[in-house]
Amino acid sequence: MATNRALKGRIRSVTNTRKITRTMELVATSKLRRAQQRVVAARPYAQALREVIADLVTPDLAERFPLLRRPLPPSKGGPARAAVILITSNRGLAGGFNSNLIKEATRRITALEAEGYTVELIGIGKKGIGFFKYIGRTFRTERIDIGDRPTAEHAASVVEELMADFAAGDLGVVELVQSSFQSVLITPPMTVRVLPVEAPVAKSEGVRPDYILSPDPVTLLEQVLPLYVRNAMYRGLVETVAAEQASRRTAMKSATDNAGDLIDALKRTYNRQRQAQITQEIAELVGGAAALQG
Amino acid sequence: MRVTVISPERAVFDGEAQAVLATAFDGEIGILPNHAPLMTVLGTGTLRITTTSGAEAFRVQGGFLQVVNNSVRILAEQIQGDTDA
Repeated sequence: MATNRALKGRIRSVTNTRKITRTMELVATSKLRRAQQRVVAARPYAQALREVIADLVTPDLAERFPLLRRPLPPSKGGPARAAVILITSNRGLAGGFNSNLIKEATRRITALEAEGYTVELIGIGKKGIGFFKYIGRTFRTERIDIGDRPTAEHAASVVEELMADFAAGDLGVVELVQSSFQSVLITPPMTVRVLPVEAPVAKSEGVRPDYILSPDPVTLLEQVLPLYVRNAMYRGLVETVAAEQASRRTAMKSATDNAGDLIDALKRTYNRQRQAQITQEIAELVGGAAALQG
Repeated sequence: MRVTVISPERAVFDGEAQAVLATAFDGEIGILPNHAPLMTVLGTGTLRITTTSGAEAFRVQGGFLQVVNNSVRILAEQIQGDTDA
């Protein structure tokens, strides 16, 4: 049985741990609030962009755009390279957040390789990069400079060269593994196919406004499609940051709660032992006195 | 007419306006209420929005402008807040 002194030491150490996890929980909560605001603020742009593209794209136009064209699979002579962009966090202690994303990425890589692609990895965030390097994969690009506040420029710098490679016919598929921030508690990993662009379709047929297009629709689409791709990347970054903070908060909250339970249990044991010791000492005294009198 | 100016990070402007003056890829373009549906690519330049309470100006680089159902939408990746223009 643990001595009283050892128990006291454990109580102190768990109390200190609880202080740390509580602090991390509070930090994550405040970062989460800001990240959530950014997710919400990014919605109008994405929505508007989708509507505009839906109005512009027609099936016959789709064939003429490098970014919309669907390359043949490698088995039929199409490009043999594919790219997977994996977003993870730079820091750990966020519950299953990073391992969920890594699992999803592994699943996608395996699937793409089964189709005959050579998969190139683009890693964002230390955790994902660390894992895939450990299992012996190399990265085409490693980015650990994108922290808690991703910007549209960050997103653009990631996808720019991928768009060029795709348009040149070197890449067959570009996929993005990110978290989907549905709510604070629901943030499953998901894969978005960034390229070829899945053009959004107009809600209702026939009522398409008769636009004056200036310049011609081809040039317009050429300008708008890259915006769409960059925006998909930006949303991925923003949502994943929000999801990271959300799962860190949840993880730290349960760590704090567990520490509290542990402290309660340890204190109870400690007090029971202390009382037992006192009782025993009194019993010894009384016994000793009785022996002397006898 | 309703005018919205949106960047990837946030909606920069959203409100009623009397006129919009933008720099398109080939020169300046003015939009007044009840303009026909239009889509155009923007160049680098100033975007001026005249409202009942005054005027707003932004520096815009790239992006595009859409007019439909008497509402104007300006989407651009680079929008800088009010210049002194």
